[in-house]
Amino acid sequence: MTIKLLFVMFLGLAAGLAVGSGYVAFLAVLGIIPRLMQLSKTMGMIVAYEWAVILGAVAGSVGSLWNYSLSFPAFAAIPVGAACGIFVGMMAAALTEVLNVFPILAKRIGVDDKIIILMMAFVLGKIAGSLFHWLYFDGGPSF
Amino acid sequence: MENTIYLRMYHKIQVNPDKVVYVKDLAQVIADEKNCHKILNLPVYKVSKKDQNFVVIDAMQVINKISQVINGANVQMIGPAESIVEIVFQKKKVSLPLFILIWMLLFLGAALTIIYFHEDVSMGAAQRRIYKMITGIEEEHPLLFQIPYSIGLGAGMILFFNHFFRKRINEEPSPMEVEMFNYQQDLDRYVIMHEKDEGKNNLS
Repeated sequence: MTIKLLFVMFLGLAAGLAVGSGYVAFLAVLGIIPRLMQLSKTMGMIVAYEWAVILGAVAGSVGSLWNYSLSFPAFAAIPVGAACGIFVGMMAAALTEVLNVFPILAKRIGVDDKIIILMMAFVLGKIAGSLFHWLYFDGGPSF
Repeated sequence: MENTIYLRMYHKIQVNPDKVVYVKDLAQVIADEKNCHKILNLPVYKVSKKDQNFVVIDAMQVINKISQVINGANVQMIGPAESIVEIVFQKKKVSLPLFILIWMLLFLGAALTIIYFHEDVSMGAAQRRIYKMITGIEEEHPLLFQIPYSIGLGAGMILFFNHFFRKRINEEPSPMEVEMFNYQQDLDRYVIMHEKDEGKNNLS
């Protein structure tokens, strides 16, 4: 029994280590944190940002695995939703950049000067697609 | 030494077809006054139809021309060893319907991929869970979370690219501009290696 327990604990720790380091590696490749520091000119705060990511990941897993819930009023979900959206948006933007989509597209069709308009197609498309998903595609509330 | 000539090639120049390229188009030159004028107006290369888009002019060609005119010239090279001459033909305009087509393609593609992503990672279930974690209410459609999320999605992309439509958030180049610059540099390096005349192989 004790051996079984110890083994399960060890297995859990190993799985957590693998997922956690993978997550951090993914974040590092996308370079969202350096980008935010560059925009806000807070290079010195990097340790604090690292801890924000670590604590966020731990809080997320505690909250989701232990079925823990707080009882804030409903509008408290608005800033949290916006923050989640901005984070996912930055990840999506970072991914398109890693894939080198825009430079090649702009070069091929020769619209170097209109690239911002093309980028807005991307941004507005993401917003429209997401709203469509939640308001209509996903069943949607009965208005 | 009064005969020392300092030469710095430009990295890249753009010319019209059928133009004669002079030293002054290709390089910055420092030399004593009477030589300087003579050097700057030396023709180096005549662009012709068969050159297509790019010609690479090596510093050796320029030095060769200079030493034909000035005896015992001591040429000091600074900077790049060659410049790329890009021959710019009539700039082709992208037609508006094609542009709108591409715009719609990107717009709908972006919309579809975000739905794919949400379905792939079970975003709906995760959001219901987060909503319950915050408010304690089981809600099938937590729109108070989902609508700010959707708008934040766009805001995050704009933040990352540092462009708010035409306006910049600050002076730094956006990652995309850096990426375009890197891509252009790679292309230039390729052109230098492949267009240079002495790059021909000597296999028999």
